[in-house]
Amino acid sequence: MERAIIGIPASAGIVVGPVHLLRWEVPDVATRILADDAIPAELERFRSAIERAKVRLAHVRDRAASHAGPEEAAIFDVQISILDDRDLAAQVESFIHQNLAAEKAFDVVMHEWRQRFAHHTSPMMRERVGDLTDVHIRVLSILLGLPDHDPVDVPKGAKAILVTHDLTPSLTVQLDRDAIAAIATDAGTRTSHVAILARSLGLPAVVGLRDATVRLSGGEQAVLDGSTGTLVVNPTDAEVDVYRHRAEREARDEAELRLLASAEPVTTDGVRITLRANVDLPEEAGSAATSGAEGVGLLRTEFLVVGRTTMPDEEEQYRAYRRVVEAFGGKPVVIRTFDIGGDKLPAGGFPHEPNPFLGWRAIRMCLDESELFKVQLRALLRAAMHGDVRIMLPLVITVDEVRQARHLLDEAAAELQERGVPFRRDLPLGVMVETPAAAMSADVLAKEVAFFSIGTNDLVQYTLAVDRGNVNLAARFTPLHPAVLQLVKRTVDVGHAAGLEVAVCGEMASQPVMAFALIGLGLRQLSVAPRSVPLLKRIVRGVSVELAAEAAAAALASDNAAGAERQLAGRLRAAFGDASFLGDGLLGS
Amino acid sequence: MVERSVQVINRNGLHARPAAEIVKAAARFRSDITIVRDDLEVNGKSIMGVMMLAAEYGSQLVLRAHGADEQDAVSTIATLIESKFGES
Repeated sequence: MERAIIGIPASAGIVVGPVHLLRWEVPDVATRILADDAIPAELERFRSAIERAKVRLAHVRDRAASHAGPEEAAIFDVQISILDDRDLAAQVESFIHQNLAAEKAFDVVMHEWRQRFAHHTSPMMRERVGDLTDVHIRVLSILLGLPDHDPVDVPKGAKAILVTHDLTPSLTVQLDRDAIAAIATDAGTRTSHVAILARSLGLPAVVGLRDATVRLSGGEQAVLDGSTGTLVVNPTDAEVDVYRHRAEREARDEAELRLLASAEPVTTDGVRITLRANVDLPEEAGSAATSGAEGVGLLRTEFLVVGRTTMPDEEEQYRAYRRVVEAFGGKPVVIRTFDIGGDKLPAGGFPHEPNPFLGWRAIRMCLDESELFKVQLRALLRAAMHGDVRIMLPLVITVDEVRQARHLLDEAAAELQERGVPFRRDLPLGVMVETPAAAMSADVLAKEVAFFSIGTNDLVQYTLAVDRGNVNLAARFTPLHPAVLQLVKRTVDVGHAAGLEVAVCGEMASQPVMAFALIGLGLRQLSVAPRSVPLLKRIVRGVSVELAAEAAAAALASDNAAGAERQLAGRLRAAFGDASFLGDGLLGS
Repeated sequence: MVERSVQVINRNGLHARPAAEIVKAAARFRSDITIVRDDLEVNGKSIMGVMMLAAEYGSQLVLRAHGADEQDAVSTIATLIESKFGES
């Protein structure tokens, strides 16, 4: 067997540990016919398998509840109810009475139910197929004598590499980070749910391994390298040494950067830059708060809807927002309203579009589905009781959208008032500047909003008409294109002249050259992933605003992106000497 | 037999958790309980059945119970559905 399995790098980091293989797939079941006198014992075997499955599920539920919360663990209560269903059991038992072995009887009945749910017109029904499949696999595994292998059973401290086909929601809630140190999946891409989840939990991960679950048997020693997307099975001692060294070096670099968490983000000429964190999941809030970030520059709210068919109710949203707001104890938390539509949809809930990035999404969808939007606005108004909440509207192209959103915000407040629920009314309302339309209309928008936040990724994509996900266009996706720099500069100048706060909340700000350029263009607020905050702080502390402004002016005067990069990179290197952390990725390329 | 109409008024409809709550409540009664939506009639004590109703927000349901505690059964389940299952 080839010992290195190559997949897609999803979340950086190196882990050396044992493989915990989870084959969470419906096993093949052979048909077995019983003699008449074996039927009573077979019925008994079926019932005790159901009982055993219920005990296992209750155990999994309790463990999941203790590290993921009771809300998340409720998924297992639904599965227990399915096992309690007398009608379902009666169908299986009638097949056993017709001489079919228990595993085949159960298999037939569950296949039929899953088909019925999977083809139902209601998305609510289709969403339940996952639960039925989980139950199907669990009971069959017991009847066929396959091992129980729920991830919750991996002992604490095992530091195992979980290898599985895909990370279903019911597996996700079982993840105990003391036990599972890394994730490897057959399915998935860099932007799929498992990759996003792994990054936000800080778990190294490789996805898209295709057939790792087939090639491994579990228990092997392995090295997972999340930066290169490699899973090395049964590594030699020399290989382990190499990886251990690299892991130690990465840990050392990170520890060094962490020391910066308490340092002030002030330039060498005494200008203070506010650094905030971009947060994807409420679970991340704690680690983001300790990274040295002064609040949240962008809380994405899509985690509440991705991969499900029902929208979260006001209570669930309120609790999620409140958790983040409280983790930051009074520091600003900028919450972006749903940026769903296009590639980020609740499964089955919205129409498929040929051109989703130019489609019915974000603020457009929210304004058209005003009841759905008001649920979120009410939750935000309530969460604001617990800290400094600011509301940010995505993909704005006209001031009309701001006015409509404000009108709905007033309605949401009136509804809460009527219900007698405590809330705060005077939340700052701002917009993402991520379209050329918004940047060019900055003067009009500035009269109606409290802040601008520039979303660099989308601004580049929409300005250059270059799809950021298209690998064939990767070289044309140039954030330092003079047209992009001009739009950023205009937004900053207009915003500051109107007395607004202007920030950048794109990941791009975590690249040294970009951060340098942005400071030079006049930005004094940057927001990046929590992991990047210390590095960004180091950049800030090593440059002067004067030098950055000179570099930015030279970049703006360049005739293309490469020229702009040369202007910036040359000065940045001069400021830092030959610092290794600028390293291989001035622009990350 | 006791019969009563009830409307699903929680936003998310009778998805998995509410369905499980209905079944749990129904199991406590000795009466036979059925739930009807349009021309689909299911056993109120079976979660597969209740989920099959695919009862979304605004759906009209008919609850029927037959047995010693039929009155109590219908009113308990109707109250549960009208309580929105703790959703706001």
